[in-house]
Amino acid sequence: MRSTLAIVRKELEVYFTTPIAYVVLMLVVFLSSLVFNGALDAYRYLSLRALSLGGDVSGQLNLTDLVLSRVYAWVGVWVLLAAPFLSMRLFAEEKRARTFELLMTVPVRPIQIVLGKYLAALATLSVAIVLALAYPLALALTARATGGGSAVEWQTVATGLAGVVLLAAMALAVGTFVSALTDSMAVAALAAFFLLAGLALLPLLAVTAEGPLKDIASALSPVQHLVPFVSGKVELKSVVYFLSFTALGLYLTDRAVEGHRWI
Amino acid sequence: MIEVTDLTKRYRDLVAVDRLSFTVGKGEIVGFLGPNGAGKSTTMRILTGFLPATSGVARVAGFDVFEEPLEAKRRIGYLPEHPPVYADLTVRSYLRFCADLKAVPRQRLRDEIDRVAVRTGVDGVMDRLIGNLSKGFKQRVGLAQALLGDPEVLVLDEPTVGLDPLQIREVRELVKGLAGKHTVILSTHVLPEVALTCEKVLVIDQGRLVDYDTVAGLVAKHLPGRSVTLEDMAFLEEIYSKLVHPPALAAAAAAPAA
Repeated sequence: MRSTLAIVRKELEVYFTTPIAYVVLMLVVFLSSLVFNGALDAYRYLSLRALSLGGDVSGQLNLTDLVLSRVYAWVGVWVLLAAPFLSMRLFAEEKRARTFELLMTVPVRPIQIVLGKYLAALATLSVAIVLALAYPLALALTARATGGGSAVEWQTVATGLAGVVLLAAMALAVGTFVSALTDSMAVAALAAFFLLAGLALLPLLAVTAEGPLKDIASALSPVQHLVPFVSGKVELKSVVYFLSFTALGLYLTDRAVEGHRWI
Repeated sequence: MIEVTDLTKRYRDLVAVDRLSFTVGKGEIVGFLGPNGAGKSTTMRILTGFLPATSGVARVAGFDVFEEPLEAKRRIGYLPEHPPVYADLTVRSYLRFCADLKAVPRQRLRDEIDRVAVRTGVDGVMDRLIGNLSKGFKQRVGLAQALLGDPEVLVLDEPTVGLDPLQIREVRELVKGLAGKHTVILSTHVLPEVALTCEKVLVIDQGRLVDYDTVAGLVAKHLPGRSVTLEDMAFLEEIYSKLVHPPALAAAAAAPAA
């Protein structure tokens, strides 16, 4: 427990004394904010259209569904793409700098090292997700629902954020595993990036396929599993998908680190 | 304290360590001597549990380093060939990190960090980033890390590499001060180093044990009839230290800059 916390602390110190965390967080927040602006513009356009057509559609134009759900789906995509750049250094850097020898010769179990490093990366990426609370807060401050009350459905915001956190947990577990396999940060980042992007884009590759192939492709895609969360639903199969991917990634990382004792 | 029996390490067809057997008693300081690639670092890595042996057994304080790695590692302080320091941490947070990993009791944490920092002479650079320190300081930070928690066994792989002659002497005094209470294995290819620091010398070549004896025993065996004293080997160093570090200058350097 103490060694795990020591590793979390050291990893956070490295993340936040070097530019890496700031660069990754800034990119995620910047890209998400672009999407937020775009979604707001689209919403305004739609409501103006509706007004000019004369119909009363205010009840159907839902700010949360049209703006926030869309934004959180995109936050998920940026988080997925950013995760490899946070996880790349976790083990690859230690091996390159020969500090891995220290970690492997102190009385600490591999799983404690793996968890410490992973949790530090997850905490760092979660900062970006917490920053994404700025969008519903801005809407809550400036918009009112037709019947009075808050224009933001906080429940949907909560499930959306939870989904993105689960997605980050899965992406970082994959990235941590890849990082444990190599001593090159560039290889670790690229391999994790293509692995995750490949998983996310599987449904596109199988777009012409039919039947079980198509089902499998969409069942494997992390983005498909994020969709219910951002629209306010918690689906058990998606929770299981993210958690089992995370567990698998961490288990394999532990094996990879333990494996160094055997070769 | 350290028992090595028939230790062999093979990398495909390269035999790095070949049926090496030796024992080191409690409180002894043993020097590992041998040319580059003789298997010194490999043996040390096996002893510290970083590498597995192909065959054979290594025990530290009675614990098999492969079967009971945590128990063995708890008793070993290890300075690898390349000091395992993080360029992005300060010396203080690095030592704090290592002390946590080695489970130094919390209430003694600060004292213990100060103790090893003073012993290795890094107490003046505690809040600097390790990446900005000179090679000699990095080496000393690595040594400080090995001393944390006062382990029974110290495995030091070329502890004096990158240090200037005076620092080498400091490290030598430090290692000598560890004798009795600690068991030390250190490797080097600086010959006088071994004679001045170690009680026993273990010479290996191509992974095989060539000789293992006390310094006096080696002299008697290989240079019969010659009398060699330690003072003979230390003269150059004394001259050097008189030239670059005269007592007056040393006193001025020790006083805080006004």
